[in-house]
Amino acid sequence: MPIEIPKDKWPGKIRTVTLGATAAEGGTRSKTVAIGGEASLPFMHFENPTPNPPLVAIEIKDRKPEDWSPLLAEVWSEAMNDPGAWAKAAEATGADLILLALSVTGADGKPNTPDAAVAATKAVLGATGLPLLVYGPGQVELDNELLVPVAEATRGERLVLGICEDKNYRTIVATAMANGHLVTARAPMDVNLSKQLNILISDMGMPADRILMDPTTGALGYGIEYGYSVMERLRLAALQGDAMTQGPMIVTPGFEAWKTKESKVGEGVPESWGDWKERAINWETVTAVALIETGATIVVLRHPESVKRVHRAIEELMAV
Amino acid sequence: MEHTVSFQIAETGKSATAKVPTGSLLVEALHEAGVEIGQPCGGQGRCGRCIVQVTEGNIRRRSALRLSVEDIADGYALACQSVIEGDLLVFVPPQEKIARRMTSDRVATEVKVPENYDFRWSQRIRRVNLSLNPPNMDDQTDDLARLQTALRTQANIGQTDCSLALLRRIGVILREAEWQVTAILDMASGDSDAPARLIDLRPGPTDEDTPLWAAAIDIGTTTVTFWLVDLVTGQVKMQIAEYNSQIARGEDVVSRIVYASKEGGGEEMQSRVVDTINSLAETACKRLKISAPEVIKAALVGNSTMIHLLLGVPAASIRLSPFITAVNHPPLITAREIGLRINPEATVDCLPGVASYVGADITAGVLSSGVDLSDNITLFLDVGTNGEMVLGNRDWLVTCACSAGPAFEGAGVVDGMRAMEGAIEEVWINGETFEPSYRVIGGGKPRGICGSGLISLLAEAFLTGVLDKAGNVNTSLKTRRVRESEHGGEYVVAWGAETEDGDDIVISRVDVDNLLRAKAAIYAGYTVLADQVGVSLADVHKMLIGGSFGKYINVEKAVQIGLLPDMPWERFEFLGNTAVRGAYYALLDWQARDRVAEIARRMTYIELSADNTFYDAFMSAMFLPHTDMSKFPTVEAALRKT
Amino acid sequence: MALSGIQIYKLLPQTNCKECGFPTCLAFAMKLAAKQAELAACPYVTEESRKQLAESAAPPIRLITLKAAGGEIKAGNETVLFRHEKTFFNKAGLFVKVKASDGAEAIKAEVAKANAYKVNYVGIELCVDGFAVEADGGDFSAAVKAVRSATKRPLILVGKDTAVLDAGLAALPGENPMLCGADASNWEAMADLAKKYSASLTVSGASLDELADLTAKIQAKGVEDMALEVKGDNLSQNLSLATQLRRLALKSNFRPLGYPLVTFTEGGNGRDAVAAAQAISKYAGFVVLPRFAAELFYPLLVLRQNIYTDPQKPIQVQPGIYEINNPKPESPVLVTTNFSITYFSIANEVEGSGLPAWLVVCDAEGMSVLTAWAAGKFDSERIAKTIKTMDVASKVSRKRIVIPGHVAVLSGELEAELPDWEIRVGPREAVDVPAFMKQALI
Repeated sequence: MPIEIPKDKWPGKIRTVTLGATAAEGGTRSKTVAIGGEASLPFMHFENPTPNPPLVAIEIKDRKPEDWSPLLAEVWSEAMNDPGAWAKAAEATGADLILLALSVTGADGKPNTPDAAVAATKAVLGATGLPLLVYGPGQVELDNELLVPVAEATRGERLVLGICEDKNYRTIVATAMANGHLVTARAPMDVNLSKQLNILISDMGMPADRILMDPTTGALGYGIEYGYSVMERLRLAALQGDAMTQGPMIVTPGFEAWKTKESKVGEGVPESWGDWKERAINWETVTAVALIETGATIVVLRHPESVKRVHRAIEELMAV
Repeated sequence: MEHTVSFQIAETGKSATAKVPTGSLLVEALHEAGVEIGQPCGGQGRCGRCIVQVTEGNIRRRSALRLSVEDIADGYALACQSVIEGDLLVFVPPQEKIARRMTSDRVATEVKVPENYDFRWSQRIRRVNLSLNPPNMDDQTDDLARLQTALRTQANIGQTDCSLALLRRIGVILREAEWQVTAILDMASGDSDAPARLIDLRPGPTDEDTPLWAAAIDIGTTTVTFWLVDLVTGQVKMQIAEYNSQIARGEDVVSRIVYASKEGGGEEMQSRVVDTINSLAETACKRLKISAPEVIKAALVGNSTMIHLLLGVPAASIRLSPFITAVNHPPLITAREIGLRINPEATVDCLPGVASYVGADITAGVLSSGVDLSDNITLFLDVGTNGEMVLGNRDWLVTCACSAGPAFEGAGVVDGMRAMEGAIEEVWINGETFEPSYRVIGGGKPRGICGSGLISLLAEAFLTGVLDKAGNVNTSLKTRRVRESEHGGEYVVAWGAETEDGDDIVISRVDVDNLLRAKAAIYAGYTVLADQVGVSLADVHKMLIGGSFGKYINVEKAVQIGLLPDMPWERFEFLGNTAVRGAYYALLDWQARDRVAEIARRMTYIELSADNTFYDAFMSAMFLPHTDMSKFPTVEAALRKT
Repeated sequence: MALSGIQIYKLLPQTNCKECGFPTCLAFAMKLAAKQAELAACPYVTEESRKQLAESAAPPIRLITLKAAGGEIKAGNETVLFRHEKTFFNKAGLFVKVKASDGAEAIKAEVAKANAYKVNYVGIELCVDGFAVEADGGDFSAAVKAVRSATKRPLILVGKDTAVLDAGLAALPGENPMLCGADASNWEAMADLAKKYSASLTVSGASLDELADLTAKIQAKGVEDMALEVKGDNLSQNLSLATQLRRLALKSNFRPLGYPLVTFTEGGNGRDAVAAAQAISKYAGFVVLPRFAAELFYPLLVLRQNIYTDPQKPIQVQPGIYEINNPKPESPVLVTTNFSITYFSIANEVEGSGLPAWLVVCDAEGMSVLTAWAAGKFDSERIAKTIKTMDVASKVSRKRIVIPGHVAVLSGELEAELPDWEIRVGPREAVDVPAFMKQALI
């Protein structure tokens, strides 16, 4: 009995966004990468081709973080003391992008400074040819204070600057617009809030193809289902033609997963959790893959083994 | 241990003293000393209106909300949140006076007597002239039986009940009137076998055209409206309104329920609202030069909490999940039972409601607006402290309520106020200079901004870019009007030099948030209601808006902020107080009264908190005008122009 | 096709008699539409309406049940493609597969280990749902008996040779196992076997066309309980296949493919975690893994729990003590509710300020502060209980809590409930919290 496969026809598609700029384009990256462009739900190759695979970014810091899991400290070891070296090591594991997260304080315990932030950014740009994302420490005033000079010092690189939130987006958007960068717009796990922030940023005159959406997610076991459904709904809205939800989505499963006790620590936890390292990698990988299958375009990870496994999953998922 | 607390009262210049045990609250001491102090939030420590200054002695502050560090250093404390642990001397600053006369008192609504109204057929109240045979040694029938016989033979009323209180008076009335009397009866039901109830017996016969008085009353959370009606002609002869004096114990229903649940709180709430009604009755009667006992019937409506509090029925279960009332359809009572000072035997009819948050004010609103008879899908919206809505037609009716908060009544907004003299009622902002101009009720100096003023301010600020779509104040604009404040950015509507009290009138980020929440709750309420029954807002033929809220608002502005849906203006109809009008119809005509019961019976209540649909709709409406701009094409066009 | 509330209402008596337990016929109709009520509750519905309503209510994906002495596992009855549309109902069963060729002793040891496994996640005890035995040579009957001696949970028997499978099934009297392996080559004998032992039958086909033909033929032989094996070459094919099958069942109401799905995962070294995760979120009714390991099953069991949470409930965060900016014992304790937006706004403000704090999140059934208080879900009793049960006192050096300004009214009662704690009233708006912490909490 011949069956007609039900195919969805959508009026909208995900916007194509290009990260990074080569010398010819006014930057210094060895290549640029494009994301987005899908006209179907993730990996429904029987409906439409998937023009660009999802990408894996590795998160590094401008100085050795004190609160990261020993498993991460072990695997990155010495490189953590030097953002340039760390970026190089990250590139060597096969990452597609580097995300540099600026710290609240310097190694001396004093507040981070614009000069230090610019220096760290430049070190990373010098060490790798991959496109770069730079995020502030997540405190309104400090974010603005650090990101503006970073944006100015890297004019034309098409970095992604973050994070814009509904109460603090103007300064970052303005400097990204003035210096040819992109921004990440993060809203707390709500379809409407994600969309609203996109509208606010667009209203400032930022071109839509320079906005990434971070709908926020929880880790496996810590609210992943909310982020999962919000992303599914955003993807559906985008396909239905809602222009303000069509930005590619970036999420941070590495940050979320490594914050959980399951990944972070190996002692004083139930035996039924099994082998620490394998469990931690599974935690990060499962979180990332579940989100990729709901529509994440960039996943930011922390452990090289997860990067490898997620890459392998993406490869399989991209097979037609 | 006992402590002596002395008060110096600014308003009167007098002092008062109370002795209270350790651990008492300052409000309790005030009460003990007989000093009146307003507690609009019901003693929850939220509003800061009960602020006093401790000039001698120490007090323990549980909460210092709304007090600055300097205030505390100066001894200021919230009376409802401060614990007495020693002797004190306390200064009581002047209390904010609730304006005596309301704006709605100025403008009487035009009310047409329903067509076909006929006292003889529409009423269950009957007034009959009786001529009794005086008793003598041969006819030793008692007075009551004599009256009952006359009613049977002269008015064809088979059985009549009479209360003890009335019984005590009839002998005197009959004799003084030399057995020529007028009886006023309530036939109770249409059933001719059921006993009638004697309401009043008046000396002498009464001319057919002499008015017979009754009242239609709407007990609003904020305002009580009182209509005095002549049942003979059906005409409304007097309309007055007054603030519900329960306001002093809480501005919203939840605060009142909480207060009423405290010891003695229920009794206090009951007597407060009865006092308000009594003073309205007294005023209305005085103006018409009649006496209050001439009022022999009342039809009452109000939200379920108001009716519970009026009847002295515990209301606590209304507030708590699963939100059940003690009664939706109260029995008929007499005025005496709740202390209403009209005729003590007067029939008091509290019309039926549907659920905890959809009360008789809404069923009465449906009656008077005719949603239940409409061929087309109609949306009825009543906005007060809560937003209640009804969607339907002659075949079906669904209803829901959402907690909009009192922002549109001026509460929860720093410079908000009710629509009365001194309130800014409309604002315009220049798109180039960002300078505002405004209109003040009464034309004097502004004191604050009322609901309609807030709506137009929000719309103007948004269209000119003073606010972004999320309601953030754009403090980077080149004007002194925008500035940073401790609550985020703010916009100055009137400089101190222009205002009554010399302080700037502003709207802050927090105020905007409260307004956004209120408008989002209302918009989400009716969109979800429509969604649940599978009707699109475009199918809504008429949008009827009740409540005093609707009377002064500018539809265009209300659409621009996304409070009302973007539909052709001719579909909106503002009906004013539909609740009291419904009470009036039910008062006049037993068929209308039956219709209210039928409306209450067939209305389907939808609980919005049952799932996430409402929350989603609410979040998408927390934006100016809405996250989905395609729902507001005219606003999009207006934005493109600016 | 599912009917809307108004459509159902038109089939009801419209008398508002209240005997069904709802105030009006429309209210009842809306509950029926939401599948939160049974039509049987209405004594007056006409026969004709009953028939119409029954048709619309028939599940598009058949519910099948595997049963054994140790319990039962259900799959099917799903009604949506995306969990946010309603919810996913029957949690995907997670099974561990053993091979007959491994020998009875090894099988017994492996099954016993997996069978004993349990793990606690937010107070719920999770475990392996059942086992699959593959007939890949060796004594199949002995292998099944070995499994059965080590577990009482439901079983799936996997193979192609009906004679071998028959011997295995014979070892499971009185159960409803699943028989896996019907295809174009053996469907008739497999159907007979499934019937003989009241087993559900898993069918696979080279194409969807062939699969639908087979299920129709098997059904004609009297087997109703079937499952479909998703057998792509890679993750991409499995995702497409599972999606197509779910769409055909739900959107096209295509009965021959309206059965739950079974996925066998392959490949070690992290691939099985990924493949099983995909199967759990994308439509599998049964997921069979080739091995057991705690570090593999724990994340998968948690994922399944998360995906099958009812999304209609308000978005909540886990009640607990949250550490913000590495708090120390002297850092302040802030109390709030577990409504996600409430939590996020407080956490973000404090996090953004850089001030360290302990954020105690109370279970207020996912309501915001004011709503929860109004509904009696965030009162002094609940707050006090949270402070005590979470043993906040052991983390801090100063017994002081800050409650939201909206519930200032609770301060008095809290003083009574928590006599040795200092109760402070914080601001009403999250945005004002950092300033309050700086000025008032010294």
